[in-house]
Parts: sequence; C-alpha cells; structure tokens
Amino acid sequence: MLKLMKTLLIGILMLSLGSVALAQDGPSGTITLWGWAYDSMEATGLIDAFNAEYPNVTVEIVVYPSGDLYQNLQLACSSGQGAPDVVQLENSRLAGYVALDGCLSDLTDQVESIVPNFNAYKWADAERDGRYYAVPWDSGPVVLYYRQDIFEQAGLPTDSESVSALVSTWDGYLEVCTTIFAQTGHPCFANSRTANDARLYEIVLWQQGLGYYNADGAVTVDAPENIATLEKLAEFWSAGVTSEAQPWTDPWYAELGGTGEDTAATLVIASWMGVFLKTWVAADIPGVWGVAYMPAFAEGQVRAANDGGSTLAIPAESDNQDAAWAFIEFMLARPENQITQFAYNDFLPALEATYTDAIFNEPDPYFGGQTPRAIYLDVAGKIPVATVYGQYYGLMNGHVATAIQRFATGEVDAQTALTEAAENIRRETGLQ
Amino acid sequence: MYTPPVSSLSNRHIEAQPSASGGLTRSQSRWGLLFVSPFFILFMVFGLFPLLFSFILAFSDWSGRGTINFTGLDNINLLFQDNLFWQSMLNGISIFLLYTPLQIILSLVLAVVLNSKRVRGFRFFRMIIFMPYITNMVAAGFVFQLLMNPQSGLFNQILALFSVAGVPWLDTPMTARISLVVLVLWAWIGYHMIIMLAGLQTIPQDLNEAATIDGANSFQIFFRITIPLMRPVILFSLVLSTIGSFNLFTELVSLFPSTRGSGPLNSTLTPGLYIFNQGFGNFRFGYASAVAYAYFIIVFVIMMLERRILRSHDT
Repeated sequence: MLKLMKTLLIGILMLSLGSVALAQDGPSGTITLWGWAYDSMEATGLIDAFNAEYPNVTVEIVVYPSGDLYQNLQLACSSGQGAPDVVQLENSRLAGYVALDGCLSDLTDQVESIVPNFNAYKWADAERDGRYYAVPWDSGPVVLYYRQDIFEQAGLPTDSESVSALVSTWDGYLEVCTTIFAQTGHPCFANSRTANDARLYEIVLWQQGLGYYNADGAVTVDAPENIATLEKLAEFWSAGVTSEAQPWTDPWYAELGGTGEDTAATLVIASWMGVFLKTWVAADIPGVWGVAYMPAFAEGQVRAANDGGSTLAIPAESDNQDAAWAFIEFMLARPENQITQFAYNDFLPALEATYTDAIFNEPDPYFGGQTPRAIYLDVAGKIPVATVYGQYYGLMNGHVATAIQRFATGEVDAQTALTEAAENIRRETGLQ
Repeated sequence: MYTPPVSSLSNRHIEAQPSASGGLTRSQSRWGLLFVSPFFILFMVFGLFPLLFSFILAFSDWSGRGTINFTGLDNINLLFQDNLFWQSMLNGISIFLLYTPLQIILSLVLAVVLNSKRVRGFRFFRMIIFMPYITNMVAAGFVFQLLMNPQSGLFNQILALFSVAGVPWLDTPMTARISLVVLVLWAWIGYHMIIMLAGLQTIPQDLNEAATIDGANSFQIFFRITIPLMRPVILFSLVLSTIGSFNLFTELVSLFPSTRGSGPLNSTLTPGLYIFNQGFGNFRFGYASAVAYAYFIIVFVIMMLERRILRSHDT
C-alpha cells in the first residue's frame, strides 16, 4: 500500500516537474539513491547545492546497510524492477555487478574524458571490455594507526616519522610488536586465528601488486608469493604478539577504544578507519592514536595498499539516467565538492585534483596534532594496481579466509591450505 | 527460523453445510472458489512457482540475470566435491543434536510447571519466557556478543566468581556452536513452551485425577500420561526445531558479524546460510538451487525418521 502511494506520489511529482521542465533545460524528475554514506552530502549542504544548480531534480535518499543494499540490488537486477537511479557499490563488490549483464549502465561516454582525473587503480573494477560502469568515490589508502601512550610506555618513540622508520618493513614491525608485548603486555594488534577475515592478508598482497588471479585471469591463490605472504604474517602468531579479537565485534572495539591492559597498540587498516576511531570506536581517548606509514614487504618496497573504498553507479533500469549522471558528476567529479565531503568524513577522494587543497596539511587534534591527511594523500598516490578485488571476490575471499583459519589453528600448513582453497575456487568459478 | 501457521485441529469439524436442496448450487460454489482463491493465488506465486523455478535453476549456471544456460548434472557433480556444503550439513547436524533435545525437554518441563495453577504468578513467568521470541534478533545478537566477550563479558565474570577459567565463547568451533545454541534456546524457548502449553491444555483433567485415585505419583503421571498424550505436539515442536537448526540465519549473522555468520573455521555455517551466500553473495543462483534441493532431501529424510520413531511407540 505504502509502495503504491509512493509510486503514485512520485508519478504526480514527475508529471508536475515534467511540465516545468518543458520551460527549462537540464535534467528533471526524482532520483532515488541507495547507499550508506550520503550523510557527507546531506550534512554538508551539498544536496542543497545540487538542487540550486539542478532545481528540477528531486533527490530521495534511501539508507541501506551494505548487506541489505547488495541483496536488494541483486533482486532488482534479476527482476528488472525496483532499481534506484544511483547506487553506492564498494570496489570489492563492484566487478561482480559489472559482470552481471545489463545490471549497471554503461557510463563510458560520460566518463571517458575524466578517467585520468582519478586514482588509476580505482578503475580496475569499474571497467569491463573497455567500457566503464561506475565512478570512483573514495580511496582506501592503508596506514598504520598506533597508540602513542603504549609506545611511550614501551620506551619507543611516539612521533609519526620515527614510528614510520621503525616499522619500515614487516620484519621491523614484528620487532616493534615484540618489544611492546615484552615491555607492556599489550597485544600489538588483533588478528583472530579462528575467525580471520583475510583482510590484513589482502592488504599485504595488495602492496606487492599481487592478488587472487593474474592478468590472464588464472587463479594465483596458491602461487609461491601468496604462500610466502601468508607465512610472513604467521610470524606474528608464532611470536604470540597478537590478540584473538574478531574484527567489527565488541571485543575488537574495546581493544581499540579502551585504556585497559588488553588494548591493542597498533592497527594496519585503511584511512576510513580514522573517522571511525575519531567519532565512535575511540572517541573517548582523543590525542592518543597516531598515524604512520604501513610497513613494506621488503626493504625499499612499496608502503602503500588499498583496503575498501566505494564508487557510485547507475542501474540500467533507472529511467532518469541524465539526472542520475548529473548527480554523480556534481558530487564526485568536482574537486570542491569532494573536498567538502572529505572535510566532513575523512574518506579520501579518489579524485586527484583535490590533492592540492590546504586541508591535507592541517594538523588534526584528534591525532595529537599530527597531519594524518598528508600521509593518506601520499599513500593514495602510490597504491599499486592489484588483483584482490574482482568478479569473484566474495567467493575467493571466503575460501582464502577458511584457508587462513585452518593454517592459523595448525590444522594444515600454508601451502596445503592455500592449494586447497585454490582448487575449490577453480572448481567453482571455472577459472584456470 | 521458519514458523508455519499452527493449523487448528478443529477445522475438520467445520464442513460446508449442505443447502436446502441437498448440495451446493453453482453460484454458491463459485463464491466458494472466489473466497479460497487468495490463498491459492498467493501460494502459486510465492510458493509453487519458486519451488519449480529453483528446480529448473538447479540444472543451470544462472547468475541472476540474462539467459539461463543449462549445464546438465554439473551442479550435482560439484555438490559431491563441495567440502563446504558437507561441512554445513555436519554443522547443521551437530547444532541439531546440541539444540533440539534441550529445547524439547526444557520447553516441556517449563510448560508443565507453568501449566500448574499452583505456581504463583504463572502468567507473569509465561510472559517473561515468551518475551525473547518477540525481541529483535539483531539487537539480541549484539547483546550476546557483549555477554560473551572473553575479557569483560558477564558470562566469564560469573565463571570467574567460581574460579573457573574464562571460556572463549565465540572464538573456537565447539564453544561457538554452544554459544549459538544458548542464544537460540533463549530466543525460541518461549515459542515452544506456548506450543507445549496448548498441547497440555487438551489433556483432560479427569485422566490425571483417575490416575491420582489409583495411587500414581506426579512422576508416573508425567511419564505415563502427559508424555504419551503430548506425542503429536512434541513431534510438531521437534520438526520445527529440526528445520530451524539447519536453517539458522539471522542468529548467525548477528552473533558472528566478522565472518558473516560462518563462525570460527566455518563451524556455524548452516545449509540455509550457505545457500544464501552462494546465491546472493557469489551470484550462483543455479548452484544455490541445487544445494537447496539436496539439503531439502536430506532434512526431509531426517524428519521422516523422527516421525517413524515417535509413531512406533503408539502401539
């Protein structure tokens, strides 16, 4: 009933707007947005600014948590009904929808001229056979968050530069972790064995430009480099310096936001975590967390990786493609509007023209006056193209996470675990 | 969990009254058809069609959009090599073994206790025990995460009072299943208790009185009269919790968010969750349908066995 009324209302609205549109140029009508991060546009007045420029377009935001959004979009694409006009898609999920024939609109004509303006690696999942299906929103440059108070207690330096120098490689990081654990008893970071989600492993693959498949599309889950990467991470388990808290659960939050004995000293994760720490996970302890560069896999190698990040796309079913594109262009392709959002939520724009803005060098009182945004920026420019995400990411991540859990609990060795995961992936996807 | 409407036994006594002329007139039967049609239309659209459609999909590699390519018996072949599917069946069986007997016994005992008018405030207790059933599972899952926090959770703090070492509730395969069973018991015991209460109230009081006069004590009454007469109700409850333990979903996702419900080492991945992951997570609707049918056949056999076992005592 509600749906019927909504449709009727929208219909009436469109008719009335349509008559106005006859008199004026430009897109018109209502566009429906699905996603979970539009608060950076609502709270900062960008939606109003959009309406000032496109007075005939009405924006209707439907907030969905990511899980619900994917499920509903999947249904909308299968049935050819009920899709929104603009949809937020994480890069990890994007390629799956791009591969779903006719689910998303081909945006190549609009996007082609602005492709070079964004981080190159962000396009990998948005492109298929030379056509583009989404526009990058934010990047996920990976950094090392560390607790200045715990570092001090362990007799280690606390400023960003010295910490970056200490953790120049994963070996250096292990030494720091060992010192911290020996001196203070604090775990270095949370890395659950039994419920590992493979995210940290993926970060370390990413920084080496590796992933789950190669340029020919063959599965590389059991490649020697992948096995070596997992074995490198396992050194932290053998040293006993990690905790078992499962990410995104209560014990994990307590470790990051608490002040007790069990709190974790560091966290390697993307920059979007900064705003979560600041606003809710560790909002009670300002001035304690600091930001440094993540370790390199080996001395002199890249200290940059990506974790997460979103895009905006237009479902093919949308009957208001022009207005939807106008919205995406306004929000994501204009530096001033991306900066407005960045100032609000710290989600680093993938749009590189923003990178000269003064905001990047402003000290952040939450991080004890450090300038974390300058680090985010520097990292974003160095993120290699990797093959972690892709059409089968969900399936591959699931099998690899299982492999890591089996290896971490001592059931099998790294090679056996990853080989079995690779076999499962090959069988289920039909890839080589 | 799936909760089919409890069909009232008394329905069969309500039969169409024959009209004065000794049968339904044509227009009467037309009206009759019209009145029952909503159910059949809804059933065909939301019940029968998906059932048949997913049977067809089970022999395809449909990704949710575009043409349906038939792949013959490929999915069935894959199914036999799919360790994760078999693990999910084993998980379902171990959760079923941990959960179902406890659920049946506890809800029956609670129902018998709260059926007695001698218990003071029985209405209040019935309400309290039923409350979790109407509590939002996502919220409940989060609260249980807090209770089961290995360091600061209430459960381990209580254990510490008795100098018992803390339990890693959600972190090892076996404790994860036990924690899950605790949550599911808490959430569903009220529902099963209500079913049992309804069953108890159909047992005529004079049977108990006669037994008392013959010198039977309350244990003898419980085991010789209550349980045999409750057999159909227990079977109903058993079937529901069997389907339930293989089909857990919301409980899993809210208790194990970091593994999207699969739990440590996939120890709580149920067939229901696995079907969802394959379909909606991996765009493999064809394979998910094949898994759904395989799972259906296995659970159907288990339920037939349960019926057989409970029925065989009837003679």
